[in-house]
Amino acid sequence: MSGRAAGRVSALAAKPEVQPYLDAFVLPEGEPFWLWREREESLARFAEEGFPSRKNESWRSIDLEPLAKNPLFPLAEAPQALAAAGAFQGALLARLEEARVEKKGLLFVLRDGRFDPALSSQGELPEGVRLGSISAAARSETLLRPRLKAPSGPFAALNAAFFRDGFFLEIAPGTILDQPIEIVHLVAAAASLSLHTRSLVLLGEESRATLCESFIGEGRYWRNDRVDIALAPSAELSRFLILEEGENAIHFDETEAVLGEAARFSSCAILLRGRTLRQETNVISEGRGARSVLNAAALLSGRQEANIVSAVEHHAAEGETRELVKIAASGRAHGAFQGRITVHPGAQKVDAHQLSQNLLLSPRAAVDAKPELEIFADDVKCSHGAAVGDLDEAQIFYCRSRGLPQREARGLLIEAFLRDVLAEATTPLARHLSSRLSRRLATLEEEP
Amino acid sequence: MGLPLLAVEDLHASLADGREILRGINLRVHEGEVHAIMGPNGSGKSTLAAVLAGREGYRVEAGRVFYRGRDLLSMAPEERAAEGLFLAFQYPVEIPGVNNMVFLRAALNAQRRRHGESEIDAGEFLRAVKKKLALLDMDEALLHRALNAGFSGGEKKRNEILQMAILEPRLAVLDEVDSGLDIDALKAVAKGVESLRAPDRAIVLITHYERLLEQLAPDHVHVLNAGRIVESGGRELAAELERHGYAFLGEGT
Repeated sequence: MSGRAAGRVSALAAKPEVQPYLDAFVLPEGEPFWLWREREESLARFAEEGFPSRKNESWRSIDLEPLAKNPLFPLAEAPQALAAAGAFQGALLARLEEARVEKKGLLFVLRDGRFDPALSSQGELPEGVRLGSISAAARSETLLRPRLKAPSGPFAALNAAFFRDGFFLEIAPGTILDQPIEIVHLVAAAASLSLHTRSLVLLGEESRATLCESFIGEGRYWRNDRVDIALAPSAELSRFLILEEGENAIHFDETEAVLGEAARFSSCAILLRGRTLRQETNVISEGRGARSVLNAAALLSGRQEANIVSAVEHHAAEGETRELVKIAASGRAHGAFQGRITVHPGAQKVDAHQLSQNLLLSPRAAVDAKPELEIFADDVKCSHGAAVGDLDEAQIFYCRSRGLPQREARGLLIEAFLRDVLAEATTPLARHLSSRLSRRLATLEEEP
Repeated sequence: MGLPLLAVEDLHASLADGREILRGINLRVHEGEVHAIMGPNGSGKSTLAAVLAGREGYRVEAGRVFYRGRDLLSMAPEERAAEGLFLAFQYPVEIPGVNNMVFLRAALNAQRRRHGESEIDAGEFLRAVKKKLALLDMDEALLHRALNAGFSGGEKKRNEILQMAILEPRLAVLDEVDSGLDIDALKAVAKGVESLRAPDRAIVLITHYERLLEQLAPDHVHVLNAGRIVESGGRELAAELERHGYAFLGEGT
């Protein structure tokens, strides 16, 4: 192990689930002093808070017990070259191929939590685009300091203390990028570990970009990902997340997006694979007329659990939010949605709509939906709704009467149900997302 | 005449709540024939169609149905479809999110797979569909919309006939394919059905009115009342019903 032990924090009397992480904590060599300070402060915050308890409303549907009992540590050293990374490599490379939207697209690969230049595309970046390792950027640029402050929330704090890398994307003002930027978060290590990646996305005024992030891996690990996004006035970002984690993997990701005047942020997350998935998006609408579209879909089976969490804070007038969350659960899977939209005093003429639609495909599957509106302004248009149901028998019979076998008919209807969330995607992304969804459907075991 | 394509023998069927709807239906349909089944509301016309297609929610209490010599009632709905049975729905189901053409191709390919045939490719399929569209006077735009979602009544019925044209069934049961249509739509549907008459195909028209039968001369007309076929005859029977209504049925049994 390299780096400096952090004596100050370890001395705290900590909760039992926290202590192993305090013991494992080291400060990475060669980082600026300010970053060490942020790491230590974050660790102290994590030590104080500990794991969220069941009383914590936003974490109550996730079972953290296994994680508390068996801590998973980050890799202390940089991972070896992939050739030496273990038996999974062939299969993983194939999965990396599958995760590509376009063969020639811009690709940035984080392998086991660190930038892997060999797997990433080597071509020249378009003008006005900067894409690289956050760790490298933080070492040389003091300007990033205010962007990498210790965040609130226990796992965000743990992330800030332990992160080793992530991506840094910066789009210059006025730059319009039509081609999606592809980020692949790949887990190749054979050992059980935790990965804390922290990334930063900054869009300049009137710039536009599309980001597609895939999370893939095999086996058991814990991913704890944090992304901070800042959109300058009139900037537009479309972000797509595809979760295809290892069968026994735990995935938490948390995004905070700050929107300037007339900025537009659209997010679409597709939760497909992984044992425990939690996807959290927080939007702070600071500028007048900022718009956000938050879509998410989860297709769950077996004993998967997934939690989609969002909070949108409207601080300025004329903001708009459209949120559509769809969960289809079979087997004994458990899905949950908690979404809150807050309209603060003075944020007049906000137009916000939230809709949660859910399909229960087996008697032992469960879905909880909790849409919430908090309104402190008087001239707003806000609504929310939630529905839970089964597939429509009449539709299934109609399909079967035309020759589609029962299983295929159900698959077709489940796919149609979920595909609504892809409305923001254009080709070739739409095609890619649809094909990932179909692939997952083909393996859906609808056990009772 | 050889073996009938469809032989319904003393069929009794009831709803899940126990109400008996079909009380002993006997019907024989041979290849190449067009039969019309008429009758007042509640006589069991749609139940007969539903039982033949295999819809859940009905209990067959007695009787047998043979289709191409096989026990139809033991077959799953998709198997019946693959064996050439087609039901045009009285109320075609709307399926938002499923593209009409994608659905049609999936249905055709599912049937082909069951017969061990290769799947039809998208280009070849599109060419075949376009030919049939002209026949039905249907707008190509409907192909690219979600299946029946937001279709007008006439569009839905034409879409059913388009499916029939593509799937090329051996036995088509058309359940009130003429209801809710204006005269132009009715003519288009009738023309479509007429063009699908073939020596190796039988058509059973379930209808309330004689209107459709003026366009499509059926070989046999049956009158269904209270779950039984009370009268069978040629085309003239339909005209008689049109003149006198179903009032005489009471004496007929």
